[in-house]
Amino acid sequence: MEPPRLAAHALGMRPPDAATEPMASPDHLHPCPALEVLARKRFVAGAAPGFSLEIHFAVPAGISILFGGSGAGKTTTLGMVAGIVQPDQGRICLAGRVLFDSAAAIDVDVSRRSVGYVFQDLALFPHLTVERNVRYGLRHLPEPERRRRAGEILESFRIAHLGRRMPAEISGGERQRTALARALVTRPRVLLLDEPLSALDAATKGRIVDDLRAWNRERRIPILYVTHSREEVFALGERVIVFEKGKISAQGPPQDVLGAPRTETVAQLAGFENIFDAEVAAVHEAAGTMTCRLLPGAVQLEVPLARIEARIESGVESGAAVRVGVRAGDILLAIEEPRGLSARNVLRGTLTSLEEKDFKVLARVDCGAAFTVLLTPDACRSLALAPGQAVWLILKTHSCHLLRGDAELVRDPDRPKP
Amino acid sequence: MKNFLARSAVVLAAVLACLAPVSVRAAGPLTIAAAADLQFAMRALIQGFERQSGAPVRLVLGSSGNLTAEIEHGAPFDLFFSADVAHPEQLEREAVAEPGSLVRYAVGRLVVYVPPGSPLDLNEQGLSALENPAVRKIAIANPGFAPYGRAAVAALRHAGLYEKLQPRLVLGEDVSQTTQFVVSGNAQAALTALALMLAPGAKPPGRYWLVPPEDYPPLEQAAVIVKGSSQKQLARAFLAYIETPEARSIFSRYGFALPSEKRP
Amino acid sequence: MNWQALLLTLRLSLVTASALLLIALPIAYWIAYSPRRWKFLAQAATALPLVMPPTVLGFYVLVAFGSSSPLGRLYQHWTGHTLAFTFEGLVVGSILYSMPFAVQPLVNSFLAVDPQLIQASRVLGASRLSTFFRVVLPLSISGVATAVALTFAHTFGEFGVVLMVGGDIPGLTRTISIDVFDKVEAGSYAAANSTSLVLLAVSFVILALVYAWNRRAWPRTPWA
Repeated sequence: MEPPRLAAHALGMRPPDAATEPMASPDHLHPCPALEVLARKRFVAGAAPGFSLEIHFAVPAGISILFGGSGAGKTTTLGMVAGIVQPDQGRICLAGRVLFDSAAAIDVDVSRRSVGYVFQDLALFPHLTVERNVRYGLRHLPEPERRRRAGEILESFRIAHLGRRMPAEISGGERQRTALARALVTRPRVLLLDEPLSALDAATKGRIVDDLRAWNRERRIPILYVTHSREEVFALGERVIVFEKGKISAQGPPQDVLGAPRTETVAQLAGFENIFDAEVAAVHEAAGTMTCRLLPGAVQLEVPLARIEARIESGVESGAAVRVGVRAGDILLAIEEPRGLSARNVLRGTLTSLEEKDFKVLARVDCGAAFTVLLTPDACRSLALAPGQAVWLILKTHSCHLLRGDAELVRDPDRPKP
Repeated sequence: MKNFLARSAVVLAAVLACLAPVSVRAAGPLTIAAAADLQFAMRALIQGFERQSGAPVRLVLGSSGNLTAEIEHGAPFDLFFSADVAHPEQLEREAVAEPGSLVRYAVGRLVVYVPPGSPLDLNEQGLSALENPAVRKIAIANPGFAPYGRAAVAALRHAGLYEKLQPRLVLGEDVSQTTQFVVSGNAQAALTALALMLAPGAKPPGRYWLVPPEDYPPLEQAAVIVKGSSQKQLARAFLAYIETPEARSIFSRYGFALPSEKRP
Repeated sequence: MNWQALLLTLRLSLVTASALLLIALPIAYWIAYSPRRWKFLAQAATALPLVMPPTVLGFYVLVAFGSSSPLGRLYQHWTGHTLAFTFEGLVVGSILYSMPFAVQPLVNSFLAVDPQLIQASRVLGASRLSTFFRVVLPLSISGVATAVALTFAHTFGEFGVVLMVGGDIPGLTRTISIDVFDKVEAGSYAAANSTSLVLLAVSFVILALVYAWNRRAWPRTPWA
């Protein structure tokens, strides 16, 4: 049977594939991590006087998301790695090379750090053509090499035909790709991206991230990706570092950090109280749904078939690993088996705990997978809920969100390419 | 916005009101406009006059040409002491001067002035000393309009030196600037007014040599009362004062010959 | 019409504008980007000629380069003559006098360049100097044009400094403004008038040309 063409998810991105990009937890870090940042800085003047930053993190190669609200210190952190901002104290080490060390009075000049930086506003040189923008950092190379590398990357980012145009004449997505190409063509040792996709539509975002991913597969370097969009965290991150008021409040794989938040704020930022790794069990194209089996158990959920995207080559088929997220507020709880409901997902389970906080009750239910359900205190009382009780959870198909991450999809190698 | 305009208008009016009295010719001190070479002599004369008459006097200095132009355009001077006769006569012709008030008050003297350390032996060689190659620049007042400049050119021509020295000439706007060129060390010699060499307590450093008066047309200097003056009475009193022996001795002391000495 | 004086004046303005551009660029660069806290003193110093009477400036140039001063003696030793009464003397005086007209527009246009562009250039590996020439200067070109135009026009009409330092030598230091002055002094008002009109016309044409060239740098009115 022909594999169904899949349509992308809202973000137009692909889910992570454990086989090609294994997650690294802090315990398994290489003794010399790809990038380590220890920094302390106090701002006495400027836009946020009194703001102080105190952070320590180490990341391997691959995409690490710096996540948090505005003003939390994410952009400042990028600035410190790039050398634009000087920490008061600290140490920044990239691939074994010390870029900054306040104790040893080392501060490598910005221009020598071999950093690729895509600014939030892109900072494309308005007086130079796309091609000249991309070539800007290649001055030290002989002309034929410059031309070759620039040509290559312009091709792979599909902006070669725009080479002679000025930044003001091209579209937002094309500008983003130009900024990316410009940063990557110098073969930096670390890539810093500051909210690079915030102003783009879903399809464009997806394509750009695919470009980035493809490039990243060849040259594994640490990538720090700043965003305050939780969708991007799940879609892209192999690990996420949560910033809160100048400090790191959590770091780790996205579902650990955002799925099991240790702080209230992270949970809020996450917005998804329930996140599961899952496997596509069956695809029902005519109905526009899929059945996913939540790992590691047997719970099955019907989720929406992801929407059509322009990139025809991608597709999700049976056996594909995906991530499913459900908001606690989207789940209904019943104390008797419901009948005649439109919802396609009715799960039987046991109420394991109730936690009241700020006029909300968080009910934890085990139905083969651990769910968190949001209830009002009144509802709790009127249903006379108590731990240990048998309950049913009701989830609408459309309350289940498919969250895509990175990686090539698992394909049957014998199936002909479409 | 309206409030802002109203307030600005009030401020502007106040400023203008303060300026207004300046343009009205106030009945006040006697204002004398004098040529630059008179700066020291005139101050002494004014002191004497004020002592005698008790009337306050104000002095304005400039070049004769400049002052003439200003008077033609209504400058509020009462008396004009020029460095020549031509300018006062011009004012008379133009009916800007009080008829019959023209009086020759002194005769200027031309000197060659050199800075200290100058190798020139003027006493022996006279103007020919200027041919010395060490004299790279010679300052004179602009002969186009300054009487002392014309006199300098005449003296140089008389000595047959004008063509030779002309390339080395630099022109000062008036005798003051001409003298300054040497004082500041930029010119090695200047043909300037004797009056400027004799300022008591402010003699310019260096030495000077009197150019024989026969070598150039006499620098007769005349004064007139300005027609538009509101102080004609006082002006006439001043002109009377400069004829007195006391005034005459001041003129002599400050390097001027007296007109009666020159009358043939 | 004293064509010699006009040509001399054009030459003086051109030389001064060119020389001042070269001198003002590093000064403006330093003022724009230096982190030194006493920068404001340097700014005040370069702006001084704006408030100083030109005759005062000319006088100081005269005295500073006269043979009574060590600087003057040094200059004389090198060149065999004083700075006063020479074309070079006028250039020196004009440079000092027009300095703020060159430095201010340059500083303003450098500061108007988006700092993020400068950061981007540095991150891409360019040195500070390279960034200046490849990013800041091209984006400041209208500031450069303004600096050149103002310096040129300012020098063209200059009088006080030339009067003090020049010595009114025809063909060498008798600029057109001095020529007009001489004519007025000598009572030739008609000649003074015609010369002044020519001076006015030439200045206007030159300025108009520069501003016309600069037109495309101006943004459209946002509400149009």
